[in-house]
Amino acid sequence: MAQKILIVEDDKKIRKELETFLNKNGFIAKGLEKFNNTVQDILNENADLVLLDINLPYTDGEFICKEIRKKSDVPIIMVTSRDNEIDELMSLYAGADQYVTKPYNIQILLVKINGLLKRNRKLEKEIQKINCDGFELNIAERVIEKDDKKIELTKNEYSILYYLAKNKGKVVSRDEIMDYLWESEEFIDDNTLSVNIKRLRNKLEELGLTDKIETRRGQGYLLV
Amino acid sequence: MNFKDFIKEKMILIIGTILAISSIEILLLAYHISLLVRLYCIIIVLLVVALAILIEYKRKKEFYNQLIKNIEDLREKYLISEVTKTPNFIEGKILKEVLQDTGKSMLENVNYYKNIQEDYKEYIELWIHEVKIPIAASKLIIENNKNEITKSIDEELDKVENYTEQALFYARSNAVEKDYIINKTNLKDVVNGAILKNKSILLNEKISIELTNLQQEEIYTDSKWAIFIINQIIQNAIKYSKKNDKKIEISSREKNDKVILYIKDNGIGIKNGEITRVFERGFTGENGRIIGQKSTGIGLYLCKKLCDKLGLGIELNSEKNEGTEVRIIFPKNSYTNF
Repeated sequence: MAQKILIVEDDKKIRKELETFLNKNGFIAKGLEKFNNTVQDILNENADLVLLDINLPYTDGEFICKEIRKKSDVPIIMVTSRDNEIDELMSLYAGADQYVTKPYNIQILLVKINGLLKRNRKLEKEIQKINCDGFELNIAERVIEKDDKKIELTKNEYSILYYLAKNKGKVVSRDEIMDYLWESEEFIDDNTLSVNIKRLRNKLEELGLTDKIETRRGQGYLLV
Repeated sequence: MNFKDFIKEKMILIIGTILAISSIEILLLAYHISLLVRLYCIIIVLLVVALAILIEYKRKKEFYNQLIKNIEDLREKYLISEVTKTPNFIEGKILKEVLQDTGKSMLENVNYYKNIQEDYKEYIELWIHEVKIPIAASKLIIENNKNEITKSIDEELDKVENYTEQALFYARSNAVEKDYIINKTNLKDVVNGAILKNKSILLNEKISIELTNLQQEEIYTDSKWAIFIINQIIQNAIKYSKKNDKKIEISSREKNDKVILYIKDNGIGIKNGEITRVFERGFTGENGRIIGQKSTGIGLYLCKKLCDKLGLGIELNSEKNEGTEVRIIFPKNSYTNF
């Protein structure tokens, strides 16, 4: 089930764009519109995670964070445009789980959100394998499996295949793959990407799977 | 103060006394007073005057010699009136009062400018925090509307962000000690942080990044400041790159309690005679002029200043047309003196 993220941010544009972005990424995002009774409003929303701006009208984020913590353990990510150590310490002291500064890197924000949500639902079983029609991608071991056969992947190959598998059935552009790899701190260039795709295809062929990764000219790749 | 100069100043008194004695002697001679009395008159007057001059000399010598010694010893010379004892003669008292007044007025004047500067710094910081909000909003809009055009805008926006950040760090650079926390930090995280700040431009310009040996290096520093410094150097590598096969190699090496980070590019390099000047404020050199890049001469200056304050070392090597290598030296233990 999709999880609910509450955006507490007084800048209307940022709020709307964040909503759009998070909705696109499989969450149900909702922005708070009024800030005169923020603490109660946040608690009423019963969200799975709260993105809380520090500079808000009426009351500031730190105070709100403290008040929420008295009643709820909901994960809170504090967002601010001030980036000094004191503010960071104050936020964490107020009970925030994470702290990001504007302008934040949106992908990193996404990673932080996912990380916090994952930690919060420990009971749910972690996905170990992604089923990709004809083979499985084993996340824990970074191998591809078909029947009894296993083939190991390098870090880059794994990251590429993981991204393709997550967007299975969709065309993914080279730029998007590069973006994803860079965010995962693999700073590869254009040629390396081509080489890795080729190697991935070879490894899939070893398992008897041909044409699993299709090339769409001018658009990108597609895992079928 | 020496005695000769002092006596010269007292010439009027001395000449006056001699004149007075002579006239008395002439008068006494006219009345046929005995020699003994005449001598007595001379001696007593001379004795009194000499004694008065000597006492005055002693007093003034003590005061002024102390004053001169104080001003030589003092580093903050404007504090001279604070360390001067009030003398027991009138010119000294006036001098001390005047010194006190000028000191006070100077301090007020300095404070006036200090306040103006502080206000300005606060305003800059506030402004930067304000401007970050529209930048953040624009970045989100781009994220939600990805295409060739927004990608290109994103690249420009990264530049805006980097320049704003530079301004913020510049404003803070005089008071680094108020805003840093030295922590055990992983060198790789710091380097990755700096690279990611330039993601769009590095990808667009097809600059390849090679990282080697960064895994285990742990350093003691403030990661926010360290990321800023490395970011400036990466930005320089991007700015002064050549047309083709652009590459930035980043590696590290451990050496006696220190970790050295090497950031090497294969860009246009720096002319031999200019290398020693690259850390000067406002120095742009030949590259700034000829190639028409937007050099401000602030980036490396700020890097050097911040490194000095954070206890890091920074060195630069370059060869024209071959590339530039910057080395940042981090302390490996936490006992380094800052």
